[in-house]
Amino acid sequence: MAQSQLQQMIAVPGQLLGPSNKYVAGPGTHIHESNLYASLLGTVAVSQPPSSTSSKPTTTAGLAKRLHRIQAVLQSPSPTDKSSNGATTLPTISVAPPSGGAVGGSNEKREVLPEVHDVVLCRVTRIAPKQATVAILVVGDAVLEAEWQGVVRVQDVRATEKDRVRIYESFRPGDIVRAQVISLGDQANYYLSTASNELGVIMATSEAGNTMYPVSWKEYKDPETGLSESRKVAKPM
Amino acid sequence: MADRRRVNGPVGPTAPPVYNTAAHKPIAKEKADNSIRKIFLKTGVTPSASGSAYLELEDPKANSPSSTSLKLTCTVHGPRALPRSAPFSPHIILSTHVKYAPFATKQRRGYLRDSSERDLGVHLETALRGAIIADRWPKSGVDIIVTIIEGDQDRNAPENKSDEGWDMMNVLSGCITVASAAIADAGIDCVDTVAGGVAALVARQPNSPPAIVLDPAVSEYHKVFAACCVAYLPTRDEITNIWFKGQLPGADSMLYNRMVERSLVACRNANRVVITALNETVRPGKESA
Repeated sequence: MAQSQLQQMIAVPGQLLGPSNKYVAGPGTHIHESNLYASLLGTVAVSQPPSSTSSKPTTTAGLAKRLHRIQAVLQSPSPTDKSSNGATTLPTISVAPPSGGAVGGSNEKREVLPEVHDVVLCRVTRIAPKQATVAILVVGDAVLEAEWQGVVRVQDVRATEKDRVRIYESFRPGDIVRAQVISLGDQANYYLSTASNELGVIMATSEAGNTMYPVSWKEYKDPETGLSESRKVAKPM
Repeated sequence: MADRRRVNGPVGPTAPPVYNTAAHKPIAKEKADNSIRKIFLKTGVTPSASGSAYLELEDPKANSPSSTSLKLTCTVHGPRALPRSAPFSPHIILSTHVKYAPFATKQRRGYLRDSSERDLGVHLETALRGAIIADRWPKSGVDIIVTIIEGDQDRNAPENKSDEGWDMMNVLSGCITVASAAIADAGIDCVDTVAGGVAALVARQPNSPPAIVLDPAVSEYHKVFAACCVAYLPTRDEITNIWFKGQLPGADSMLYNRMVERSLVACRNANRVVITALNETVRPGKESA
């Protein structure tokens, strides 16, 4: 029906996509006077929520995963929903910009910005006793065109024994670090955190200049000299 | 022995080139008062920029080889990181630059931006600011640079004819339209595609009554009394910028409203060109995918 037509459609900014009580606004759209409009140039994509039909049994049956940390509520349900999960059954409508290959740009032209909760890859540029300065290179799967500066403060390096953390035992300039954005930060820096097992240094070079391999949660080892250096090591995935 | 070290003049006598008289003027395609001149608009002309667009306006009375009267190119750089000295900004910082090429107008332009170019830049920024969803891009800036390659002027007009700057209205409306296409090409969130349009109160002959025309080619008229350039969001039915210049005859108080309404018609026409150009931007990508 109308959805299949929408999926073939090209949207230009300001184009009406549908009423906001039938769709959830995805990326590239905005809501104006309870209608959804495109805000980017691109193709329209309508995605049904995952397992919208089977969502009810799974949420009631089976043990839910125990909450072990405080998480922000991502999507507040719309005020009009009558059933408990009425908001989640609505399809999401989004506008994806055209992939750059056709227009001459070799890679994707779309700019992305680091947002709070994003996992980013970055290179350590500078270390100081209180913080490590990094250059954010990758957000999620998208390679950034511009380099954004970020900071890992000493209290954000790991979750435990925060008072014993030393920056120079956690990072060295040149390391590649997987981190999570915790704040947009101040004028210059995004604030990042590596306080999780999966976050930390993923690539490091030794003082001799060799690529090292991780041997424990706080050690990297040089395969040629056999010396080990301390880092905040990310758990290999 | 000839001097080989420097460029010498010709040895023998030479005659300056004598050209035939210019080809006969093509029959002027008379533009109706309620239509705008034809627009050529294409996006993605500058590969190094995040987004770009190029706009040409047809000259209905073409007697020069180019047969255009306005050529604009717009590049959009960003969103990118703000300089370190800039304070924190929760939304995108828009900066617009409008520059005439030195050869764009009859009066040669300098390389530094003069007051009229800065004025155009401020108007363009106001027009675009109402269209961009600025808080989608915190902590970032975008530079919008419009270069006027050919200003909307009649090159064959006599030198002593005073230039009252009415062509700046047409240039601004072109700047708004081309920047709107370039911003959409760059993938910056907008509430609508903004487009510019001009209406003017003109007298065709010295003794003819004043009439409102759209998109005036200034040299075709005896006198321009007033002109109005509007930036308009057609879907939202909102005006983001309005620039009115000139003196209205005092008799008709509704004349101002009528001129603004007519310029909205010009905006809608220009917006249709933008939509078509943007659709063409996406379509080749769709076929290959």
